[in-house]
Amino acid sequence: MIRDHALIDELLAAQALDGLDADGAALLERELAAHGDCEECRRLEIEHAEVAGMLALALDPRPVREAMADRILAERRTAAAPIERLDARRDARLGWWQAAFGVAAAVALVFAILLATQDGEGQGVPGPAIVAFEGTAPGDLAMSFTPGESGALVWATGLPDPGPGKVYELWMIEDGDPVRGACLAPESGAVAAFLDADPSSADLLAVTVESEECPDAPTTDPVYTAEPGTTQ
Amino acid sequence: MTIDPGRSATVRSVEPGGARDEDLLRRLVAGDEQAFRELFRRYASAAHALAFRLVRQAQVAEEIVQEAFLSVWRNPDRYDGARGSVRSWLMGTVHHRAVDAVRREQAQRRRAEQASGIGPGVVEDPVDDLLAAIDLPRERKLVRAALGALPEEQRDVIQRMYFEGLSQSQIAERTGLPLGTVKSRTLLAMRRLRANLGEGTR
Repeated sequence: MIRDHALIDELLAAQALDGLDADGAALLERELAAHGDCEECRRLEIEHAEVAGMLALALDPRPVREAMADRILAERRTAAAPIERLDARRDARLGWWQAAFGVAAAVALVFAILLATQDGEGQGVPGPAIVAFEGTAPGDLAMSFTPGESGALVWATGLPDPGPGKVYELWMIEDGDPVRGACLAPESGAVAAFLDADPSSADLLAVTVESEECPDAPTTDPVYTAEPGTTQ
Repeated sequence: MTIDPGRSATVRSVEPGGARDEDLLRRLVAGDEQAFRELFRRYASAAHALAFRLVRQAQVAEEIVQEAFLSVWRNPDRYDGARGSVRSWLMGTVHHRAVDAVRREQAQRRRAEQASGIGPGVVEDPVDDLLAAIDLPRERKLVRAALGALPEEQRDVIQRMYFEGLSQSQIAERTGLPLGTVKSRTLLAMRRLRANLGEGTR
């Protein structure tokens, strides 16, 4: 069967430029699924991505300090060591406890920060808030943040496996527009993540199941939601 | 500014005597620090320029570049050669992160403007800056020439979408054009850019 690629071509062109909004991204996802294993779709995607990749070269380069490369290389060395040690003795049971311990540590850290901040705070200044998500799926998901400041901690336990090649993605819905928050890949149902944004500016926080590439617009309905205003 | 449509330009992601990007990525998977430094040297300043053009804040732009390259260093196996070049993957990653930052900022600014009753400020149009430079390295000349060869209305869409981080809906809203017109101009511009950039986009 010969398929028409006009619509997919148009959508892929905008996607390569990060110009799709939520409706367009969802439409593209549906179109690609309908086309299945489509060689022409892949060709078009690559062509548009290559053009977009070259556009950056039009700009005058902006030097980066060589120290940045050193910092990046150092990050991996310090981060990789404990993971390798844990991997050597990991089994399914131990993996769960490690994940749960990570979340428990994050929760403890949040409460420690809350207590410390509340002790030293002046009157009239909004303090840290915790918001709990509600959803159609089981599990506990919550976020801690200070309204008006960038930075939030997200943690969860008991989340269902999102499926092969899938992750959870957190969105901040602002004036009806979803703004990407963070990609959450649970290990044995547990997640602890940092969000570099101020969630208090959102009308709604929503979590959807997405492909592991973490698209820049949601393609499925939310499985968890929370209103930043309804804090605990 | 025009470009001969019959010209077939070649810009490859490899320097004379240097390793191909794809080979560097393979070495990176094995943890080769020198391969990372080489990729960093090739693309970090272009990535930094792109991030800064979008977010207009030096510190945020640096953070975006650092996060993007950290992701490459930690997970080089995420690169899929069947889906395009290392350059497009890297620049796409940086652009994606920068656009996220811009849209978060836009949403927060919109709220602040609504709260204060002040309308949006004047948006400068830096396309002319892009087209005016002389004595540029070949790749930059080629890309600027390709941008310059676009009809103005198509260039404007690319400018707003790629270099300012606006979505198609936002462009339609700001320019008053029908959304369908913005979409068709995007596609026409991308096709024309591809034709003008020729082999360099492979």
